[in-house]
Amino acid sequence: MSEMNNERFEDLKDAYVLDALPEEERRIFEEFLAAHPERQAEIDELGAVAGLLAFSPEELEPTPELRYRIMEVVEAEAAPRHERRRSVLAGLADFISARGLAFGAAALLLIGLLSWNLLLQDQVDDLQGQVRNAQAPQTQTVQLSGTWANQGADAEVASISGNRIVLVADDLPSIPEGQTCQIWVIKGDVPEPSGLFQPGGTQTAARVTTPIKKGDTIAVTVEPAGGSEQPTTDPVLSAEL
Amino acid sequence: MADRGRQYLILADEDLISLVEASDSEAFATLYDRHSRAAFSLAYRMIGDRQAAEDLAQDAFLKVWRGAGSYRVERGSVRTWILSIVHNRGIDQLRSHASRLRTQERVEASAPRSQPSEAFTETWRNSQRDQVREALNTLPAEQLKILELAYFSGYTHVEISELLSLPLGTVKGRMRLGLKKIRNFFESRGATVPR
Repeated sequence: MSEMNNERFEDLKDAYVLDALPEEERRIFEEFLAAHPERQAEIDELGAVAGLLAFSPEELEPTPELRYRIMEVVEAEAAPRHERRRSVLAGLADFISARGLAFGAAALLLIGLLSWNLLLQDQVDDLQGQVRNAQAPQTQTVQLSGTWANQGADAEVASISGNRIVLVADDLPSIPEGQTCQIWVIKGDVPEPSGLFQPGGTQTAARVTTPIKKGDTIAVTVEPAGGSEQPTTDPVLSAEL
Repeated sequence: MADRGRQYLILADEDLISLVEASDSEAFATLYDRHSRAAFSLAYRMIGDRQAAEDLAQDAFLKVWRGAGSYRVERGSVRTWILSIVHNRGIDQLRSHASRLRTQERVEASAPRSQPSEAFTETWRNSQRDQVREALNTLPAEQLKILELAYFSGYTHVEISELLSLPLGTVKGRMRLGLKKIRNFFESRGATVPR
């Protein structure tokens, strides 16, 4: 194993980002990298190129059971704290019934203290929630109307933090094969193509690719697959912003 | 109408991962729904067995759930981060002795597929995938094969050199040229490499 230097770093960096260095060589490479943090950006950039290979496999659907198994663990680990508190109280109730009334008063006192503690904890949780809400992206929404809305579709345009615009909708009607929904942002009289989507399932979300400002109109039409340069049908949904 | 599920649906991955860090299971479920296909597909491409690939994907997603705080936006997208977790775990598995024997069999069995025109005939589902496929199709077969053996099958450059009876310098050279060619593909179109 030769000593690591700039020349050897150059020689090994491609294998490193592909995770193709033997263990010992990788360790020495990483020691060199730690000692030369100015080269990290170069490795990150090269790593992004290697990482593209992850996108290349044929896409396959995992079984629904996989989601179920994972969410079972996640939900268990995310169980609200009050569930855990409730089990503590249940344990105390068992304790009382087992020991009889002689210990009841003491246990009730304990429960009282515990409840007070839980009340304080709830207040802390509320504050944490407020902090979280304050940090959360600010979302503004505008409801869309039109023939599809009259048929029961529920659609709105949401602006997240003012710079990401998304159209979200429930219960859109299905469209014939070979057609697509196209979003338009109309500035004055000029419609700009602003994204395509296929209505699917009960809920649909699509990014609006054109920046919008107050006074613009947003509309959805049904167009031939691949979209059109200009709307070829009447809007099925629209809203003035 | 803006129910809670919808609010998650319109959030960006980076917003969702912040919520996951705060133990928000619905945010995690949204991330799972967005990226589970890509993660499972990568796991299957590496392991070659559906059940083992699901186990690998499960392992990776639980790491996402428990380690969301370690995500760093400056190092790439959430999707890339999730796939890198799948990849790292997959490499660990492949380098175990039993898996390596199985991979050896798989490499031999799939040898004729090393031509890009045969290896990438699937329909790609989004523009990023299309671009990556197009980039990989520009590689000579011998460069693509070495990148695949390293990235998907977990071979070190020394092992690839032995497997293909090539000088180590040749293996390194093909790795370098292959990656350079992928980068050039994007730069020549005035695009940055997706991260």
